[in-house]
Amino acid sequence: MLPKISETEARLAMSSIERRRQQVVAEINVPPWYWFVLAGGWVGLGVLADYGPVWATTAGTLLFGAAHATIAPRVLSGRRGSPRLSVRGDLVSRRIPLVVIGFLMIMIMATIGAALLFNADGARHPATLAGVVIAAIVVCGGPSLMGWVRRGAEQHLS
Amino acid sequence: MVEPRFDELIHPSTRLSIVALLASTDWAEFSFVRDRLAMSDSALSKQFAALEEPGYITVERHVSQHRRRVRVSLTEVGRRAFEGHVAALQAVISSTASRTS
Repeated sequence: MLPKISETEARLAMSSIERRRQQVVAEINVPPWYWFVLAGGWVGLGVLADYGPVWATTAGTLLFGAAHATIAPRVLSGRRGSPRLSVRGDLVSRRIPLVVIGFLMIMIMATIGAALLFNADGARHPATLAGVVIAAIVVCGGPSLMGWVRRGAEQHLS
Repeated sequence: MVEPRFDELIHPSTRLSIVALLASTDWAEFSFVRDRLAMSDSALSKQFAALEEPGYITVERHVSQHRRRVRVSLTEVGRRAFEGHVAALQAVISSTASRTS
């Protein structure tokens, strides 16, 4: 037996439910500090490459990669962008970690390319310069990338 | 397939908003729900108590970064009730649509 409510009331209730769901989708994100930590590491590795011995650069890169691999599974799901809630897994695309890792791979290649260009141009600290430029792109581009992911999730729901 | 089941407890707009918000989360902080629904602490606490009593939600209190926090989540009972309620709303909409077509 159907409830004694009008179609209008049912539609209003459904639109309210949808609005609340969109409010949660708007929280899909990686923690903002993630991009800043990443950018700091990027600059640090650039400085190490310019000023440190080869072994230190290698060790630093491995250490940074290991640290990232440790925290990535916890932050890249997109479900804990805010400390105030955990978004349900079925609302979040499983491709978010792949999208972010893909973005980082492009940034790594861009860093190498930029460092080679700066070096060819006679810059004294090509790796540091490349690190700073790419770190700025990571800090600005990371949140934009997550905005794009959220728009995809909203379109998927509607 | 969820069986349509209109839920009188969930249907009032404020409670429906709370349950809909929680249905999309594993858990949410009290402050998140309060801010999204633009409610006072006391009004929201009353609604939480009404939903906690039949076992639709659980309210956990914990301390994080030296601050007391309240974490709310929908229980399995609450989730089933919500899904049944949504199915009932959809049934009303589709039955009206089929009558008019």
